[in-house]
Amino acid sequence: MSESSKSKSSLNLNPSPTLQCKDLHEYLKSRSPQFLETLYNYPTICLAVYRELPELARHFVIRLLFVEQPVPQAVVTSWVSQTYAKEQSKACEALSELSVWQEAPIPGGMPGWMLAQSFKKNLKVALLGGGRPWSMSSSLEPDGKARDIAFLDAYALERWECVLHYMVGSAQTEGISADAVRILLHAGLMTRDADDGSAVITRAGFQFLLLSTAKQVWLFLQHYLHTAEKRSLSAAECLAFLYQLSFSTLGKDYSTEGMSNNMLVFLQHLREFGLVYQRKRKAGRFYPTRLALNIARVRGSAPCAGLVPQPPQQQQGYIVVETNYRVYAYTQTNLQVALLGLFTELIYRFPNLVVGVLTRESVRAALRGGITAQQILHYLNQHSHPQMLNSETGGIRATSVLPPTVVDQIRLWETERNRFTYTEGVVYNHFLSQADFAVLRDYAKSQGVLTWHSERGRTMVVTRAGHDDVKRYWKKHSKS
Amino acid sequence: MADDDAPSDSSLLVIVVDTNPNQRYITEDPKLLTGCLDAMIAFANSHLMQKSSNLLAVIGCHFHKSEFLYPSPGKPLDVRQIDGQYELFTLVEKTIKMRLVNLIKSQPQDDKPGESLLAGALAMGLCFISRMRREAAPGIRMSSRILIVTGSSDTAAQYINYMNVFFTAQKQQVLIDVCSLDKHLSLLQQGCDITGGLYLKVPSLEGLLQYLLWVFLPDASERGQLVLPGRGRVDYRAACFCHRELLTIGYVCSVCLSVFCKFSPICTTCHTVFKTGGPLPIKPKKKKMKV
Repeated sequence: MSESSKSKSSLNLNPSPTLQCKDLHEYLKSRSPQFLETLYNYPTICLAVYRELPELARHFVIRLLFVEQPVPQAVVTSWVSQTYAKEQSKACEALSELSVWQEAPIPGGMPGWMLAQSFKKNLKVALLGGGRPWSMSSSLEPDGKARDIAFLDAYALERWECVLHYMVGSAQTEGISADAVRILLHAGLMTRDADDGSAVITRAGFQFLLLSTAKQVWLFLQHYLHTAEKRSLSAAECLAFLYQLSFSTLGKDYSTEGMSNNMLVFLQHLREFGLVYQRKRKAGRFYPTRLALNIARVRGSAPCAGLVPQPPQQQQGYIVVETNYRVYAYTQTNLQVALLGLFTELIYRFPNLVVGVLTRESVRAALRGGITAQQILHYLNQHSHPQMLNSETGGIRATSVLPPTVVDQIRLWETERNRFTYTEGVVYNHFLSQADFAVLRDYAKSQGVLTWHSERGRTMVVTRAGHDDVKRYWKKHSKS
Repeated sequence: MADDDAPSDSSLLVIVVDTNPNQRYITEDPKLLTGCLDAMIAFANSHLMQKSSNLLAVIGCHFHKSEFLYPSPGKPLDVRQIDGQYELFTLVEKTIKMRLVNLIKSQPQDDKPGESLLAGALAMGLCFISRMRREAAPGIRMSSRILIVTGSSDTAAQYINYMNVFFTAQKQQVLIDVCSLDKHLSLLQQGCDITGGLYLKVPSLEGLLQYLLWVFLPDASERGQLVLPGRGRVDYRAACFCHRELLTIGYVCSVCLSVFCKFSPICTTCHTVFKTGGPLPIKPKKKKMKV
């Protein structure tokens, strides 16, 4: 009995990696349970994590919040109607992944769920009160030079654009510190030029520019937190402070009293990126800006409506896309024109208007650069002109404000590049009998590592990860 | 009734809370009101906790007038944190309590407490919702609902006002939920049924917060996924326009559809004069002509 295994030649799977932007959920998932445990000691984090949970999971948590003993899993299942079993299992999974709840046996032998103690305690504190106040809320004398919301918005926008302009290498390079540059380099958004050592933007950097501002800030801060540990800043403490900021009120001043030295350093960094405004380094008070407030809203792309004042005109959308693939952008900034130029062919330029057209070539050029169709569509959607948002397409509220033809076409241009998918694997062939083949195939299938198989040729392909396991099984099987 | 499949970007909840002092649970034990109010505030904050874009309004409904308890008109209170609670939640709690005290203090002392002006408060809620919709940024989907928390008993005196409000809400795709603390309320239950909201009579006041969180916290789009109490049978009797009594059989004006328990020759609503006075005369049978 013989079995031969050959390794398939491994191909370069993904020549241009696309930029990963994790939301809080995915970020926390990738961290250790101990880290999560420390995080759940902060009410702010509990609140932020709660908001990031799937809808059903939020209701599970709130229903379990005031229950002091484990609840049978069967009971939790019965809360959701049968037709939504998929959503239900997804919600349960999310809660387990973030260790918001743990399995706990019930005195009858049934498996049950119980919320993590610290999470439960601190979510209750955030909701109902109790516990210690957050670090920045000591009372203050009224500020003689109080700043209004419009000022803070302008300030935040200017600071953040400073970073973006630096990335695209515009003339304006001052006002950005070595720290910020280090983070950009660390994140792989920029890289040192081989010749003169100056920082130049990478492909990932261009994708970064296409994200919404809230996502940009969040991604940037994620990398900041990665580097923070090296500078003896505790990531948990920073994250907690960040979320504390995001739950503050716009246009209100907060005190720096009682903050540790590390946090004051962190505050200075945030000030540099425009997340907080401070008149002087030693002012003893600071104002969070909209950039900081939006950290908690990375997932919901929609800006906050209603009682919170709307952002100024310049932050609103400026792009109009027509069904004939023409793109009209009412903008004057070079940054925005350069971004549009990534995936459109620009044809006219007027003082306040740029006209471009989406062509197969221009979009494919962007796709080759690692930008995904989703990112392009998201960018166009994000910055749609208010006029586009108001117009309704034939009385039907579509999911996207863009013309459906354009959306479909961009997607098609992307999929025509993805006709092959590459997976690494190991071929098993030359089986002596059909029975041997069937045994091994079924085993591989049950392990979920079977990529492809052919009954007639008695050939199967197993993923690289599952190879050792399948080989071991085969040895055991062929011996007996 | 509301958009069931598409989850909305933000959700607006208007809570109408009945603060009338002649509700039975308050007259029996005035301290219960504090407990119920705390439960209501915790529920309101849990709604705000769901999403950062969620909005809230609370209307206090008394026997002499209804008033917004939150958001307060004008500049919001300047609140500093006193404990670990989220600042916004502290603001909600403080504002509601402060304004409720003002509302109760402003009640006329010599008058005997009458009926709560629930229909008026509902109309205020609807106005607030439509204002919020108008002011929302373009492209934002907002689902709205109104929750009534009341311990008053059912009266048909505001029947017409109720019906106007219910059908407006239905047209505006606003859900009306009712949480009754004391008695069964058939009129308001009709409103829930018309607008697609939920009706619940709380069996005991101790677990009020849990009842609120379990039944009324889910958004319109989430309600389909969860197992919630059913509609049950709805009493659809109408109240007559003359004596405000619930009727099974009555007289209906053929022009304006007003309902009366007794026949009157002139419709009091639209002043139509009915030509055939009195109960319909039995038509004399036509005599067959002999051929």
